[in-house]
Amino acid sequence: MAKKNIINKLFAAGPLILLYYLSISEVDTNLEKLFDIFSINLQIIIIYFWIIKRPSLMGTGHIFFAGLINDVVMGFPLGISSLSYLVVCFVGNYVRNKSVNTTIASDWFTFFIALLFANLLFVYLLNNFSEVIISYAKIGYNTFFTLFLFPVFWFLFHLYQISFIGSQDA
Amino acid sequence: MSVSREDFSIAFRSALLQRGASQKFSILSLIIVALVVFFLDVYGFAVVKTTRSFINDLVYRVTYLTSVPTRLFPGINKGIANHFNLKNENEELRKVIERYKALDLNLEYISNENKNLKKVLDTENVESVTNIVLAKVLVDRNSPFLKSIIINKGSKEGIIKGMPVTQNKYLVGRIVETNFLSSRVLLLNDLNSRIPVTFDEKSTQAILTGGGTRKPTLAYLPEDYEFKENITVFASGKDGIFNAGTPIGKTRNNGEVELFVDPNQLSFVTVNLIKPTKEIF
Repeated sequence: MAKKNIINKLFAAGPLILLYYLSISEVDTNLEKLFDIFSINLQIIIIYFWIIKRPSLMGTGHIFFAGLINDVVMGFPLGISSLSYLVVCFVGNYVRNKSVNTTIASDWFTFFIALLFANLLFVYLLNNFSEVIISYAKIGYNTFFTLFLFPVFWFLFHLYQISFIGSQDA
Repeated sequence: MSVSREDFSIAFRSALLQRGASQKFSILSLIIVALVVFFLDVYGFAVVKTTRSFINDLVYRVTYLTSVPTRLFPGINKGIANHFNLKNENEELRKVIERYKALDLNLEYISNENKNLKKVLDTENVESVTNIVLAKVLVDRNSPFLKSIIINKGSKEGIIKGMPVTQNKYLVGRIVETNFLSSRVLLLNDLNSRIPVTFDEKSTQAILTGGGTRKPTLAYLPEDYEFKENITVFASGKDGIFNAGTPIGKTRNNGEVELFVDPNQLSFVTVNLIKPTKEIF
């Protein structure tokens, strides 16, 4: 019984572990060697999905901290990724408060809004308060591919949720 | 109408301020903290710089450790593929291979590392030169926005911002951030990279501009300049940072430069301890 409980807790911590691992490790979601313009922001997809479906698994403090780690590893000013993650979190919370039942289509549409706000804030802060120059085209491609692949990850995370955590949404 | 506005306001406030069993902090409070951290970091207060330097050293080490499995995967895949391709192997040998596969992979990894180190030592003459530091690449995360690597040497070894970084005497980039035990190297193909270069028999001057893509391009060339293929591009040294004559790459017909060193394949680099006349980036 206790063993089962530990396994359940481990499965429940899966999304958070993945979020931390993606932030701190060398694992890229930028496959430019295969396709020059391809890159996605998997962290934002993870945060949005689990904030909508199971907010209890994705503490905001952890999201903030994962953002800080991501900034250190990527070389961005501290706090900028945390801010964009928290914006996604905020939109996710708002959508959860306002909607009774969500579908993949409604999640996709609201994710677009969250992603847009998060990336706009990211670009605005970098452009106005930092000396780091980034390419608008790269941000655009990143936004496009993140949005485009959202349903794929939605489906994968949904499978994970019903297989290991339980189908009951928040 | 007023009910709908009230609904909106309740949902909005709840999304910002709501806390729960696992949500110990409200989003609003964390946004404020993140903004404070961001502005403290951007405006570079001394305390924040020291703290960030300490955090960087710590996080880079953890990143290096957590990335070990991803570095080993290509080796494991290769080993498995070779194993299946050996047609004439008998059952006994297969069993032996199975047993020693893990050891072989480890050995292959170590011997490759050894070969690379030998190459670096041979070409750079590390023993005879005192003003360079050999460094290992700790983190080579391929960000879509910034092209940089983290090396395992920092201000403890005398590294400061702006110093040129080479591999096999070919220019790789320059130091843009130093911590006590680690540094960040901005690669030549990063959007923020601008290097004065010279090339061809007329000693044409230009600026090598990173575009965030794999190959940087030549900019600020003389009017009506026609690109020729396979001309070696050297650092001109006019910025007082890079050694004049450091080879960088070969030109292409479209104005791009094929770098001698693939920025995605760096394992060991050398930092030239030349004090730059000015700090950039």
